[in-house]
Amino acid sequence: MTTKKLRQYKYDPDTFNRYRQERDYFNFLSGILATMPDSMSQLSKEITDITVERYDQIVRCAEEGKPFVAGYFCAAPEIYEAMGLPWYMIMATPFLAASAPYLTEDIDAAEAMGLGTDWCTACRLSLYYIEAGLTPKPWALIGLIHPCDAGNMLHQAVARNKKWRDVPIFASDPPYFEDQRGIDYYAGELRRMVAFLEEHTGAKLDLDKLREVCRETNKQYEILSEYTQLRRAHPCPHGWGVGGPQAFAATQVFQTGRPRGTKWLQQLYADAEERVKNKTGPVPKERIRYFWFDLLPFGWVFELMPWLEQEWGAVLVMEMFGLQPYTPIDLRNEETIFKGLAKRNLYDSPMIRQARGPADYFASDIARVVKDYDIDLVIWPGHMGHKDGSASTGIMREICQELKVPYIHIGLDLFDKRYTTPEECKDKLSKFFSAMGLG
Amino acid sequence: MAIYDAYLTKLAEYVGGLRQKGRRVREIDCPSGVDKLLEGLPVKVGPGTNSDVILRSDTFVEMGNPDVGSSAFLFWTDSPALIADGRITLIGPDIPESPGASLPFGQVLIMAGAGLSEKDHQKLEHTQFVADQIEGYMIRSTSQLIWSRVSKEAAEKGFCFETLGRSLMAIFKSEVPEVEAMEILFVTSSREDLGPLDDIGAQVKKIYKSILVADWKARGFDAYVCSYGGDCKTCPDQPVCDEIKEVVKVRKQMISESEGPSDS
Repeated sequence: MTTKKLRQYKYDPDTFNRYRQERDYFNFLSGILATMPDSMSQLSKEITDITVERYDQIVRCAEEGKPFVAGYFCAAPEIYEAMGLPWYMIMATPFLAASAPYLTEDIDAAEAMGLGTDWCTACRLSLYYIEAGLTPKPWALIGLIHPCDAGNMLHQAVARNKKWRDVPIFASDPPYFEDQRGIDYYAGELRRMVAFLEEHTGAKLDLDKLREVCRETNKQYEILSEYTQLRRAHPCPHGWGVGGPQAFAATQVFQTGRPRGTKWLQQLYADAEERVKNKTGPVPKERIRYFWFDLLPFGWVFELMPWLEQEWGAVLVMEMFGLQPYTPIDLRNEETIFKGLAKRNLYDSPMIRQARGPADYFASDIARVVKDYDIDLVIWPGHMGHKDGSASTGIMREICQELKVPYIHIGLDLFDKRYTTPEECKDKLSKFFSAMGLG
Repeated sequence: MAIYDAYLTKLAEYVGGLRQKGRRVREIDCPSGVDKLLEGLPVKVGPGTNSDVILRSDTFVEMGNPDVGSSAFLFWTDSPALIADGRITLIGPDIPESPGASLPFGQVLIMAGAGLSEKDHQKLEHTQFVADQIEGYMIRSTSQLIWSRVSKEAAEKGFCFETLGRSLMAIFKSEVPEVEAMEILFVTSSREDLGPLDDIGAQVKKIYKSILVADWKARGFDAYVCSYGGDCKTCPDQPVCDEIKEVVKVRKQMISESEGPSDS
């Protein structure tokens, strides 16, 4: 038997500056939130602190030559956690730090590098950060060949380009349809991922540890499921400021299977429950309950979402990342655990669920949310990178017509506010609200 | 013969099998008309009658939690004579007999109407998620499952499976006029008893998926397979994408020109 020598990258202090800047940016946000005693700010502060800690951990690993990987929320983070492998998403900036002040500058730099402007800005930025040496080079990369062509292209580029060509890359093969055969197949793919990670990082997967992590995630998803029911209340207890995106960050990125994440979810639930009992929401009078069917416009979120609340009494009741089916993982044995992970990561994970397979998910999710959450308006932002979803806009419109709920497709870039400016979005939404007699 | 008729037989065999195993099987016959169905119910039925959310602390019984099992599906026939209109079959404990319990939950809704066809199936699917229409009853908003709660207040008023069944029948008959007759099966006996029901449900759902594909196709959408196999070069809309790319470039240039040089 031969023991393969593990690859280790030499730490270069001049690299991944942007990653450090992001950490500092989150630290700065945490400092601001510390001065705000209200419960929502404190919930946000805890998530921000958790984020900073992960950034610190990755930086430390890089400096000390310890293994860490780049992975994805939908590629079984439960497994990285159980293996004790620190990880980060190479799309972290667009997902998490998109409101950072340098974002526009980076988008232009990506364009100057020759990356196509019709390519999803999140993917474009991620490749730019890698090519420009601004993000930490991992020991191994878990790539994605789903749910969209844009993500697939990113990982093809990373695999072939010079910068990270020596980083081993693995992508699990996602089945198209949702059935037991698909779950069985994808469970096998996750096992291959474990073998890959063990080979390239030296970390080992211990079944008991995986069971422990999954048990804790079951608790987390159960609380999250309870929380999402609370958002059905009139008025909705929380608006755009806290809820799905932060819960996603806790359960699927920074606190997967960790008691601290569970505690945060309990606090989120308790805060919402109290508001439901007191009948308080984010605005004095809730006039429009809307379903934002995508990521929030993180690049300019502060320029649109508060305006919707203040100007129109329009409350974000549900969005794509808060909409998660609940699949508890059956902990009986290794097989049931891997099958549970397969289902959760392939068929439940937000955005992956809708964009990976048949377009019918767009219709069925809308139908369910509109009825359950008493939605007055469905907003499909039409992010320029989400061509898969925009190709289904006709289906979404049809289903909304059947449900007799107004539907608007804006057409914007969630990260680059110059594509359709916040003012243009406001104008379009205002005209639409007026025409539909909303608010 | 309609596409699902064979499943009426399978369902009858399933109920017969459980009866043979000694499970308690209760049959309740309800009236047919919507007004009669609603008459004397202990709770209100109709839009807005349920108050938003039933909290865990206010729950009398929970049904279909994934930890204990849930199996729900519906199908229909265009021959009303094939089903017993108004029949509710309950296998297992009723709601008043289960305070504080988390019951496994099987629910099969069978609709019949001479005018029912494939085009109605999606509407029937949507109708089963009753949202706020039954006082004291909440189906949790999670896809693929019927996972529900009955409130303590409703249970005190006498909410039972007959209440739920009659409410569902009234809602379906009101919202989908093509539904002339309806029969319901509830199973709460055990997770094991839901297994064979799941198998029948999987087959029914497979047929529904193929109906859905055809339905979307008829409306001009290919919801399941990209006609061009993901090959953009063969897609007739490729010139549109190219044009958009150019427009983005021009817009960005215009914006940066209008903003002028940066101060920094």
